[in-house]
Amino acid sequence: MSAIRFEGVTKRFGGLAAVDDLNLEIRKGEFFSLLGPSGCGKTTTLRMVAGFDQPTEGHIYLDGEPVETVPPYRRNVNTVFQSYALFEHLNIEDNVAFGLKRKKVPSDEIRTRVAEALELVELHGRGKARPRELSGGMKQRVALARALVNRPSVLLLDEPLGALDLKLRKQMQVELKGIQREVGITFLYVTHDQEEALAMSDRIAVMERGLVKQCSSPEDIYEHPSGPFVASFIGTSNLLSGVVENGCVKLATGASCVAQVPSDCPQGAEVHLSVRPEKIWLDELEEGMVELGGTIVERVYVGTTTQVIVELGPGMRVTALEQNTARVGSDNRWQIGDRVRLGWHREHARVLR
Amino acid sequence: MSTVESRPSAPARPAADARRAPGKPPKGFDRPRFLKLFVGVFFVLLFAPIALVVLFSFNSSRSLQDFQGFSLRWYETFFESESLRDSLIASLEIALLTMLIATVLGTMLAYGLVRARTRVSDSLNVLMLVPLVTPEIVAGASALLLFTQVKLDLSLTTIVLAHITFSISYVTVVVRARLVSLSREVEEASMDLGATPVETFRLVTLPALWPAVLAAGLLVFALSFDDFVLSFFTTGESPQPLPVRIWTQIRFGVRPTINAIGTFMLVISVLSIGLALLLPRLLGRRESGLKVLLGREGA
Repeated sequence: MSAIRFEGVTKRFGGLAAVDDLNLEIRKGEFFSLLGPSGCGKTTTLRMVAGFDQPTEGHIYLDGEPVETVPPYRRNVNTVFQSYALFEHLNIEDNVAFGLKRKKVPSDEIRTRVAEALELVELHGRGKARPRELSGGMKQRVALARALVNRPSVLLLDEPLGALDLKLRKQMQVELKGIQREVGITFLYVTHDQEEALAMSDRIAVMERGLVKQCSSPEDIYEHPSGPFVASFIGTSNLLSGVVENGCVKLATGASCVAQVPSDCPQGAEVHLSVRPEKIWLDELEEGMVELGGTIVERVYVGTTTQVIVELGPGMRVTALEQNTARVGSDNRWQIGDRVRLGWHREHARVLR
Repeated sequence: MSTVESRPSAPARPAADARRAPGKPPKGFDRPRFLKLFVGVFFVLLFAPIALVVLFSFNSSRSLQDFQGFSLRWYETFFESESLRDSLIASLEIALLTMLIATVLGTMLAYGLVRARTRVSDSLNVLMLVPLVTPEIVAGASALLLFTQVKLDLSLTTIVLAHITFSISYVTVVVRARLVSLSREVEEASMDLGATPVETFRLVTLPALWPAVLAAGLLVFALSFDDFVLSFFTTGESPQPLPVRIWTQIRFGVRPTINAIGTFMLVISVLSIGLALLLPRLLGRRESGLKVLLGREGA
């Protein structure tokens, strides 16, 4: 049985569909992310599960039960808000105990469960502090403990790391994933940060303008994006436009690239060829690679890697990523203006409509 | 309040600055010596008349010009007069009732205006400010007209009704400012954790609003307690509220008792406003009551 099931869920604000005919099934114990740019409907989806918004059409099932008529305070889900939404007039313990008190849990059980929850998020000993005395990262942990202590069947997280600085965010990503594995609760995670989604999720649904563009594992979404939007939103991707010709893609520069053309792309169809920068080789090519020639127009050193931008023809550029390994002379192998041969293994290029 | 920004934003001549010994105040127009004097004069003018009233309320003679010695005789006359005592009690009753009812209604109105978020709530927000700018004499006359129309006998009740009408706006403005800074997500979090809407209001919204509600209530108390114009229009024969009572007495000549009553009223007003400013801090809030009243506190 799935933890959450969306059946034809549509939410309209005025005439605009924020979420359009959503069909999704989220498994029990899964770390599931809704990923997309702002305004793609991911937060609206989350709010409908929490009960703050009602679907205009369709049904949502929690643990197999339809929840249209269930108000937020009777749903067995809890939310971690982006703004943390802590109760400023209560101390940390009382914040965490809030949900249990509403459920009339005996007070000695409340005490042990609150202590456990604070232990889980490494905030034991800070129970008497007020929310405003805590740092952003600590508040975030309190919000997490306050939700988890109720042992919901699903935990909803609305960009919970959005307000933290980069370093803390990376650290919290690892911790969140660890906590999820430890408690085994289904996480429905909303984010616009693709790296975050890739790092933590079991599965990701990429959304754009209310529609799910692709729903799959992180590896699959990264390696096999379903369309130009997913390819460019997840990581960086070179999108080369061309037309299908005899099982190849003929680029605007005139070069022909062998590629696995899907069966639904007829002869002459306009397509994009998507290649990840790290899949592009420069100069020392292997047998059987797709080969192109170009001129180096830019080199950008970014620490562990160097971005090399190659112009294939007028208006058509690709970015290649070179690892800055210990290879001798790798730091100035290429100069701007050098002619270069580049290539990729044909299975690393995707034909997208 | 009395310190003025000592450094204007325009950079002073660097050469002159360099020559000056460190720590010695620079001469010239950019120093606030002149401004300090100005501020001093301003405050003297502001408080001198009030100080005189307080001083002469302790005068042992009838004179309003010469202070001849300390005595409490005018306070004794004040409290010995049954009609003045009745007026004082009436005024306190009016202020207390107005405070209680207007605070409850105003808080509810603020909550509705902020949380309902209908298409008209913006216009309603502006409409709500109308009582604050309506000339009080117009408000008084219209209240009197209304009470006569519905054949309501003028009494303490009519005064309270009139006071509530204008006080609601004050409460709503103050509470609204606080409510706007309270994120909707906090209330959602409460419901998410299993609290019904009513429990959420009681356990989350109200505790966050308390400082503003209390401050607004005390402000209304002070306003109602010393209101003259509205009370004058809507008062019955007896007992009259204290300000109206004073005015009636003055028509028969100014007596030093007035100073004692005035000082007494001043103390009550200052106390309630002071309490309004202090209470949020006494309740363990960081923000000062002044900020709460002016709606300028951070989220």
